[in-house]
Order: sequence, then structure tokens, then C-alpha cells
Amino acid sequence: MSARQFVNDPDEFVSQALEGLQLAHPHLVQVSTDPALVVRVAKDGEPPKVALVSGGGSGHEPLHTGFVGPGMLDAAVPGAVFASPTAYQVRAGIKAADRGRGVLLIVKNYTGDVLNFSIAAELAREEDIEVEIVLVDDDLATDGGDEGGPGRRGTAAVVAVEKICGAAAERGASLAELAELGRRVVSNSRTMALALQACTHPGQQRPSFDLADDEVEFGVGIHGERGIGQRPFGPASELVPALAKPIIDALGLARGDSVIAIVNGLGSTHALELSVVHRELSAFLDGIGVRIERALVGSYVTALDMRGCSITLVRCDSTLLELWNAPVRTPALAW
Amino acid sequence: MTTLTTEHARAWADRFVAVGAERDTELTELDRKAGDGDYGTNLRSALRRAAVNLSAGPASPHEVFLAVSEAFLNTGGTSGPLFGMWFREFAKAAKEKDVTAAVLGEAATNAVAVVQRLGKAEVGHKTMVDAMVPAAEALTAAAARGAGVSDALAEAASAAHAGAASTEKLLAKRGRASYVGEHARGVIDPGALTVAYFFDAAAPPRN
Repeated sequence: MSARQFVNDPDEFVSQALEGLQLAHPHLVQVSTDPALVVRVAKDGEPPKVALVSGGGSGHEPLHTGFVGPGMLDAAVPGAVFASPTAYQVRAGIKAADRGRGVLLIVKNYTGDVLNFSIAAELAREEDIEVEIVLVDDDLATDGGDEGGPGRRGTAAVVAVEKICGAAAERGASLAELAELGRRVVSNSRTMALALQACTHPGQQRPSFDLADDEVEFGVGIHGERGIGQRPFGPASELVPALAKPIIDALGLARGDSVIAIVNGLGSTHALELSVVHRELSAFLDGIGVRIERALVGSYVTALDMRGCSITLVRCDSTLLELWNAPVRTPALAW
Repeated sequence: MTTLTTEHARAWADRFVAVGAERDTELTELDRKAGDGDYGTNLRSALRRAAVNLSAGPASPHEVFLAVSEAFLNTGGTSGPLFGMWFREFAKAAKEKDVTAAVLGEAATNAVAVVQRLGKAEVGHKTMVDAMVPAAEALTAAAARGAGVSDALAEAASAAHAGAASTEKLLAKRGRASYVGEHARGVIDPGALTVAYFFDAAAPPRN
């Protein structure tokens, strides 16, 4: 069976989605299409703050465009589906967001994103805009690669970085403080994901890989690529500990530790399923004495219409927790 | 000729745009064998933008190089922005200055340093750097001998071609080709070949 999607023209997929975002959230975001940017609507009388800019390939929505607004990003720079925005596009995002106190770039660790955001940072610095980069590399499935290789991919921990740094920026933190804070969140976050079914690119007829009915793909990323291996399909009570265990080991979590848990759908996983995943995660962490202080359960960092989920744990102290709990008002995250 | 005129710079850039379009299929085929096959698409899109920028009539060698640089920095992928930063050093070096062979040598030396810093590639990694480094060395050596711009650029073209040819036997350490390992051995790196075509374009085609 072919995969059917709500698409008019695959070439216009991202730009038409951005038009929809603008129409849905005129009070929060200002969308421009050439270059493609989503910028927070500035309110009169707001004191200048350090601006937060993120972005990357499209297809991961609501990341990053849905996280523009008070308490999170000042601008998001969307590329084509699964392709980095260009260096000039990122530079335009930096200039649109800058309020004179510097710009923090939050970049998921992919070769194209790192290169284009780094170039944009250099170009902006030449125009006397202070820029710092926080690199997010939380995906455990890509841990332990070659020396000098691309390293771990960036996935759902980017939500925690954007939320926590966003809250600190609203309170007047400096660029250097925000960069340090963002790196602290990254170093305390790890993620593992599994897919029940691959995603289908807009306009394509077939999913990006095939899976047998009795297996799941373990360690997938967010670009429809295969993971690190297949495992037998089973009840959530078996699949969830298999995701959580390596994260606990990698972070060295022990009895008495506190975490923020992000149970994330990869695109077409039902909210009821994600709640079951969270139930199993809670039981598993409870069993080893790790306390979930706050949980975010829903589809926030997606791989188009992939069926599957990721689990991210962020080891937290009272500072990180307090910033996570601070108010936020964006199209996709608000409390 | 001891300095690069605006007319020469413009003719050079125009020929590069034309050669890139002519060689598109060859470069895409190399990338299909050794990468993910999108090199030609990205190059074509960058060169189309370059042609538009150049049609605005840049008034100095600086503006010619800038027109090409900005086109590449507006292009996706990883080779596009690296080329954008490479051309940008030529634009910077040519700003409010007579462009001698020495200036070109200095520009090419700075340019490859920027590409190596951003792309983290060394000579021998089977990337564009394998043509950029010998071209910069040839320009600098020619300038030291007192060669004119045209002679220095011709020597840079030969050196870049030799550098590009050397990538054929290499196993990739950086860039897309590093993902396909042995499959890329026996394939010239399309980025390195593009550098050679760029320096070729400095001289009118021989009949």
C-alpha cells in the first residue's frame, strides 16, 4: 500500500507548512519565506535579552519552529526536509533575532548543520554580533564511533536545552552563562529511540526501510535511517526497559538521582501509546530509585511519520528543574 | 599582465559558471559513485545563483569573487558553504587592492586554511582540499618568481589537476565519500575536480 499524506507539491511542502504555522499563531511568530525564518513576535517594552536561535532540516516538527516564543527560541531556521539550512539563511536568523546582547545558537550534531551554523556564526561575528554555539549530541545509538568521526547525533535533548536556556535568557542570563548552561544540560542528557515502522518522505510511495512484523529497529535517529539493529517486537514492558537501561548506564544514574524524562513520539505514535511508554519508564526508574521530577510526554522531535518513540533522560538539580518549570508560551510548548 | 583586471575576473567567473554546467553530469556521476549523488544538484544551484549575481555587473575583482562566494553560501549541502568560504577569502584579499599573483597566492593560502578549519580535512583525505593546497602553493611559488597573474593561474590549474587526480587512489577520510569506504577508491573527488576547473576557467579555452 502506498503511503498517503496531506501534500500539495513536495517542493512546496515546507513553505506551505510555514504558511500554516503563521496563520495558526500570528501573535507568537512572524514567518518569512525567503529566506525561510520563524521569528518571535517582539512585544513593546521588553528588555533586551540574549537571543536563542536554533534550526536544522525540516521534518522534525514541532521542533524547532514550534518552539519559538517567550521562554524558548527567538528564531528558528528551517531547512528543506532533512537538509541543513544554508549559512546565509542562518545568518539572517541571527540578525533577525539579535537584540544587542548576543546570540546563542543551539545546534544538533549533524555535519551539515554544524558547518552551516559555524559559518553563520563567523559571518555574524564579523558584523560585531556576539555568537556562541551549544552543540547537542545526546543520541546514545551513535556513541563510541571512530576518533575524529562525526560523534553522537543530536536528538530530543535539544528540547531540554531550548527550554532551560530559554528560561534563563528571559531572566537576563549572559551569553557566556547560557552557553555554559546549555552544555551542562547536554552533558547530563542521553537519548535512545526505536522504530516500529520507518517514515515516508513527502511524495515517496515507500517507507525509508522495511521491518518485519515481529521486529523493531533499535537505535534509530530522526532521519528515517536504519538504527543499530533489529530486536524482537514485544510488549511495552519489555521494549521500554531496553531503551532506558543504556541511558541509565551512560549517565551513571543511581538511587536518589533526579531526572527530567522526555518520552517522545517519532511522528505517528498515538498519545495513548506514549502514555503507556511513560508508565513503563516510571515503573522501571522507580525500581532503581531514580526519581522523575518532571515528564514531557508527546511528539516533539519527529522523523516525519515514523512510528516509534525515543526516551531522553536529563539528570537535573534544583537549578535545571526550576528553569524547566518556568513559564513558556510557544506554538508547541506552553505552561 | 601583472594584475587581475575586472574584465579578466568577470570572464574567469563566467567561464567557471559555464564549465560547471558543462561538467555537471561528470561531477554528479563521480559523487554518485563516492557519495550521495547530490553534488551536481547543489553545484548547479550555486552556479545558477552565481550567474544571477554576476549579471548585476560587479565593478571590481572583489565584487566578482563576492558574487560567486555569496551564491555558494546560499546553497545547501556541505561542499557549497565550504566553497563559499573559500571564494570569500579571494574576495577579501581583492578588496580595495590590485590583485597581483602574490595577492592571489595569499588569498588561496588563507582560503584553504579556512576550508580546512571548518571542514577538518587534511591533504590526503580525498576532498577539495587535495586540489586547493597544491593550487595555493603553485600560486605562491609563481608569485615569488615574479610571474604575472595569467602564468601563475595556469600553474595553479596544473597543480590543482594533479591534486585532483591524486584523489583517485585515496580512501576517503572526510566528507560523504568517507561513509562508503572502499567503494570510493578509484573515483576522483568531485570537489577537488571542481577546484581544478575553477583555475582552468581563469584562462580562455585553448583551441
